[in-house]
Amino acid sequence: MSDGWTIVVGVKQVPDSDEVTIDPDTGRLDRANAPAVLNSPDRNALEAALALRDEVGGKVIAITMGPPNAAAVLEEAVAMGCDDAALITDRAFAGSDTWPTSYTLAEAVKYFDADVVVCGEETTDSSTGQVPPGIAAHNDWAQLTYVEDLEPRPEENRLVAVRDVEGGHERVAADLPVVVAFAFGENVPRPAGLHRKIYAENEFEPMEITAEDLGIDPDEVGLDASPTQVGGMDTVSPVDRKEQKFETAEELFEALAETEVFS
Amino acid sequence: MSDEAEQELTEEEQRVADAEDVWVFIEEHAGDVMNVSWELLAEGRKLADKIDQKLVAVVIGEDVDDVAEEAIQRGADLALVADDPVFEPYRADPYGTQFRHMVEEKNPSIVLIGGTHTGRDFAGRVAVPTWAGLTADVTVLDVEEDGLLLAKRPAFGGNVLATIVCEDHRPQMATVRAGVFEAAEPDPDRDGEIEHVEVVVGEDDTISEVLEREIGDTADITDADRIVAVGGGIEGDVGPAVELAEALDAELAASRKAVDEGWVEASRQVGQTGKTVRPELYVALGISGAIQHLEGMKDSGVVVAINDDPNAAIFEHADYGIVGDIFEIVPELVEAIESGAELTEVAQ
Repeated sequence: MSDGWTIVVGVKQVPDSDEVTIDPDTGRLDRANAPAVLNSPDRNALEAALALRDEVGGKVIAITMGPPNAAAVLEEAVAMGCDDAALITDRAFAGSDTWPTSYTLAEAVKYFDADVVVCGEETTDSSTGQVPPGIAAHNDWAQLTYVEDLEPRPEENRLVAVRDVEGGHERVAADLPVVVAFAFGENVPRPAGLHRKIYAENEFEPMEITAEDLGIDPDEVGLDASPTQVGGMDTVSPVDRKEQKFETAEELFEALAETEVFS
Repeated sequence: MSDEAEQELTEEEQRVADAEDVWVFIEEHAGDVMNVSWELLAEGRKLADKIDQKLVAVVIGEDVDDVAEEAIQRGADLALVADDPVFEPYRADPYGTQFRHMVEEKNPSIVLIGGTHTGRDFAGRVAVPTWAGLTADVTVLDVEEDGLLLAKRPAFGGNVLATIVCEDHRPQMATVRAGVFEAAEPDPDRDGEIEHVEVVVGEDDTISEVLEREIGDTADITDADRIVAVGGGIEGDVGPAVELAEALDAELAASRKAVDEGWVEASRQVGQTGKTVRPELYVALGISGAIQHLEGMKDSGVVVAINDDPNAAIFEHADYGIVGDIFEIVPELVEAIESGAELTEVAQ
């Protein structure tokens, strides 16, 4: 029997993708002026974690890795119902690719003695989806990605997930501790309660955790420890479209009939 | 301490210097191979030829010799086969452990994996313990003469391609988007070697268990030739879109807005947080054309937009458009298509 699980949720602050604009001169995206928000798949991760706690008991701790101002997303997590939150912050982490990032988070979830780690499926700014499996791999834990539904089995010390796989679904049981990447949009995140919001904004202060706290050698994280580097950027010319407008469905149909799509 | 660090660096440098061959992971489920694996084999052939190295197919599963043979026919010089019941169906932990062992033993220079859920699930399981560089969602691949892989991936929003390189670690790994490259047809006369490798995982070592697996219960819009996609402008009434999709023999898809509202299931979402599609025909109904959506459909063949907002960005990314009410235009279009189809039948 278990007296509840320690559930750690990894969240990230990202530029608001709805506010990212295209610079008309360079054709590049202007991310710098977009406000920073909670990565939207992480909202599904938070809901999944809180729902798990509701079922099996225990606590939910939100963590994020980033500079001090990234703590804003922790406030949101606490307002939604997380019991505690931690900012993993250190200059040594700057420039980390997914390898040292997942290493740092792997150490952090061990620090909290997590039974279950829940992350969003991917982040909207880098879209690699590599960090949750990376955390699991660093710790040699089980992993469940593209998860649409969770079914805790505390009596078996296992977590069962319905996963989306190509063209279908599967139900997989994983031994604890386990890392879950919850699929975007697959649950309905609960709204933050008013009292909880006031608490998160006014009283709550997240823990701050450094590389040293986690026993991480600064040489093992950051830009220099990252296997991948950005070697260059090319702008992609958008596909030229005809941009032809019609008045009626009949005209549209005739235009389509002349293309190869109906042949 | 510093001596030890230097020692480690030297080993890693040696590993980089010694690494060779291009590996392609052949993803199969119960004997069915994902097409992206064949696509990568064709592209991997070009990379291997350019740097004069072997192309190796990695086949993991149960009773997969015929898969290995097909890999040879489609361009591999060598197929490494790990054959054991522990590998069916796929699980991250036994696949990861086995693949990692093979990477450590043979030190490949490049490893390509399809960017499917399965590929993305276990790539990190190999890259992390071998301290490999792993680039996600690659759409363009090239290699320099000295073997440095240039893996290009769309950066935020998709109108920028970032080139990711990994100079100091091996293997250079990438998960690659499906549908970008063309698969080579099998050549039954092609020769190659099949090598069965030691299986290092036992059922007792596993930390997960597949309880059920059901394939065929969700639509895979990524393969569709024609797509009718709906956005916020349909106001919750997918009826006309479904009729149009039936008339066109198309799959229904949606923008994030329509999925968030619960009008269409998440597996049909197109866009940055959804799926990437490249159908011959993409009809966008009531979709405004946010860059996150465009990212998922911009490589479609013919794009049609119907929206009542004349300033909607989607019109700039469409071949044909109608500014107007979806609920009037779509039924007319359905009628035109159906009578057009009858005409074709009569003519034939």
